[in-house]
Amino acid sequence: MPAPDVVVVGAGLAGLTAAVALADGGARVDVLAAGHAASHWMPGGIDVAAPAGAATAREGVRALAALSGHPYTLLGADVAVALGFVRTVLEESGLPYSGQLDDPLRQVPTAIGGTRRVSILPAGQAAALAPWSPNESLMVAGPAEFKDFWPGAIAASLARSSPWGSAEGRPARVEALALDWPTIRGRHNVNALVLARLFDDPSWRAEALAALARAVERRRGQAGRVALPAILGLSDHAGVMADAARIVPAAVFEVPLVPPSLPGMRLYAAMRAALLRRGGRIVVGESIVRVERDGARVSAVVATTASRERRLRTGALVLATGGVAGGGLVVGLDGRVVEPILDLPVEVPAGESLLAADPFDPAGHPVERAGVRVDAELRPLGSDGRPVLDNVAIAGSQLAGQRYLAERCGDGVAIASGWRAAQRLGAARASTSDASVRTGAA
Amino acid sequence: MTIQDLVHEAMVTMPAQAHEDVGLSADQCLKCNVCLTVCPVARVTDLFPGPKYVGPQAQRFRLATQLAVQGSVWPAVGSPDSTVDWCSGCGWCTTACPADVKIAEMNSRARAAIVADRGGKIRDWLLGQTDLIGRLGVPFSPLANWTLQNRPVRWLIERLVGIHRKAPLPIFADRTLQSKVRSAERRRRRAGTWAEPPPDRAVVLFHGCAANYYEPHVAEAAIDVLRRNGFEAIVPPQVCCGLPKISNGRYDGARDQAAANLPTLADYARRGYRIIGTSTSCTHTLKAEYREMLDVDDADSRAVAAATWDICEFLVALHDEGRLNTAFGRLEERLPYHAPCQLRSHGIGLPAMDLFALVPGLEAIDLDHDCCGIAGTYGLKREKYEIAMAVGEPLFRRLEATGAARAACDSETCRWQIEAATSTPTRHPIEIIAAAYAAGDATTSASPPR
Repeated sequence: MPAPDVVVVGAGLAGLTAAVALADGGARVDVLAAGHAASHWMPGGIDVAAPAGAATAREGVRALAALSGHPYTLLGADVAVALGFVRTVLEESGLPYSGQLDDPLRQVPTAIGGTRRVSILPAGQAAALAPWSPNESLMVAGPAEFKDFWPGAIAASLARSSPWGSAEGRPARVEALALDWPTIRGRHNVNALVLARLFDDPSWRAEALAALARAVERRRGQAGRVALPAILGLSDHAGVMADAARIVPAAVFEVPLVPPSLPGMRLYAAMRAALLRRGGRIVVGESIVRVERDGARVSAVVATTASRERRLRTGALVLATGGVAGGGLVVGLDGRVVEPILDLPVEVPAGESLLAADPFDPAGHPVERAGVRVDAELRPLGSDGRPVLDNVAIAGSQLAGQRYLAERCGDGVAIASGWRAAQRLGAARASTSDASVRTGAA
Repeated sequence: MTIQDLVHEAMVTMPAQAHEDVGLSADQCLKCNVCLTVCPVARVTDLFPGPKYVGPQAQRFRLATQLAVQGSVWPAVGSPDSTVDWCSGCGWCTTACPADVKIAEMNSRARAAIVADRGGKIRDWLLGQTDLIGRLGVPFSPLANWTLQNRPVRWLIERLVGIHRKAPLPIFADRTLQSKVRSAERRRRRAGTWAEPPPDRAVVLFHGCAANYYEPHVAEAAIDVLRRNGFEAIVPPQVCCGLPKISNGRYDGARDQAAANLPTLADYARRGYRIIGTSTSCTHTLKAEYREMLDVDDADSRAVAAATWDICEFLVALHDEGRLNTAFGRLEERLPYHAPCQLRSHGIGLPAMDLFALVPGLEAIDLDHDCCGIAGTYGLKREKYEIAMAVGEPLFRRLEATGAARAACDSETCRWQIEAATSTPTRHPIEIIAAAYAAGDATTSASPPR
């Protein structure tokens, strides 16, 4: 088969952004992923930057870009255009997002009754972003059968800590609504996926939303918003949101849950559909173990199959395999961090032991900052600080110098680096294709 | 790299004791439940609590039981998980797992442990007897086919045996592939033209039960395509790969079949022959399941695993080496294609789609659905038929929406399921490729002006 122009390893937000952008420019793209991971774990918003002290994502990017060694020193200028591209693609797949880089970061509730600071959310979560007016109440609603979302505990925790800032107002009341959905009454094994698939059925959801509407109406005269667990459909989320707007006399928003995360799965499905529409291909369950090189170029990736290795020629490579959580970096028992596919040098914060550190330090774990150092073109650098591979770009949380949890910058880095990788490798495509033909003949 | 190199490398690089790794991989489970998101059975019924619950989560009880046997303080708890029987064994969970947990394999072994502990259904024993059924059915094929398509008889079979009256059963051929091959071989021996061709001009064909007893034309299409690429097909005596027994929890019987197949096949593999199969589930069994499920992990099983190729995988590899005969004629058709679950477990992409792309005029459409529902013998069972049909429902609707005259799929049981559910004739990709060569012949012979 003709070799693809680019192989993208990893199907999280970074890999999929790179793949869709490459295919959009006419490149032949194959995405290979060991499994589903980052996309199915993420809460579905696009966290660009929310370090302490930043009022907007744009301010956050600026602050992080001023930190020595942060990926935003290279990518800060790409965030806006990458975000615009990704949102257009998602909207085209029927998954619109709300919020802008200059919108204030707001506290929105989490599924354990805390809050997180965000500004860019899928439409299904967006009603949480508007400032609270003085007579508005927050109703946290869910069925008792569902064990990943406890409305009473969430409402009590939010009422006690009242984490909202002065600019965003606060709900007049936070209360719990117990929902009684007949079809699941007494079932002990109801999970988010089961509920989301029930919501995909128009007649089932009409009843469920009517039950919610009755529960809301019993709080007579109160204006308010309803927080529901993120279960509002998988294949027909847009239809569920439209019905909710029609049936429920209050704005409804989803609160993301523990994995598997429906908002993340919808994002994955939307990006995958966009890739397939552009002629790209994706294979999940394909573990890349190493590459073949031709001088300073990668000429093929090598995958494990059921009984032997399989070699796939390629013109270029985007490595978007993630950090320690995604398996793109591996920490050995000796505390050494390695990048297993290209065996690139991994930069680890100096003077800090990864194993002795406090894993719950609010400033983040030092292993978050571990990663591969790159040049402005996202080419990986060797230990001498010079690029080691020309036709390779590193994207996503494998990039060194970010604290993606503490700085809440993981999604922004993912889309900006995915976008940048696609721009460079897409532009180099013509010469790359020639090279792959040469190596393919060997 | 030659097959002998591959076979040699397999001795060194395949993980030691794959079967032990299956059970212990539970320790890598992050409990993220990604497996549940891709499980076709859990998508349509909550009788099955999902791969995580019956797989890695229940595995700790199984491990505790093993430890108890070895004299630890833990009490034996037996098999905690009879719901594992609702698992169809499609393997999607293992494919999607980000932590490399062998979930489907774990579930298969758990089912086998339950069958070993408590015994299983007669019906499930019967479904594993593919060779016996084939040997009995083919000689009496007109009668056998009439009987098995007869509605009152099927109702009776459902009542007595538990095979659903509407489940898609195949049609017996009037002669087995083995018997056709043996008589051709006898003719050539008598004529003195029989000699085993060397490994660069021949491959070993593992035809599986489907091509032997029901669809010899699939194997014949493969033999034709191989010949057009310079390879004779050697068809040694062979038995069922054992997968129907594995899927029904009868590992001992499956080990007997592995023991019957491996010496012959391994001998060919060591002499540098590739083993090619038209049934993507048989080839996956030879590649992986002898070792991962049956604990048959020795020099023979490794040699066979390394030398085994799915037919489309092999042709794509030939093309990558610039050696595929691409004298295809035009096939003006839109061809919907379903990639079987077992093919995905190979980890080789969609080689049939790659081949279709080489045929002028042929517009193949990937139906992009997880599972047709049948999962080998799963959808034949009375209590599972409705589940299997619900699993395949979106696929059937998508296929019918194309309005195409025929479809393609690499696995026989999926083809039978799709044909029964949609009335769309469904072919093995190799039949399509053989037809493309035949169309090329017609073009070539027609081209000189008369």
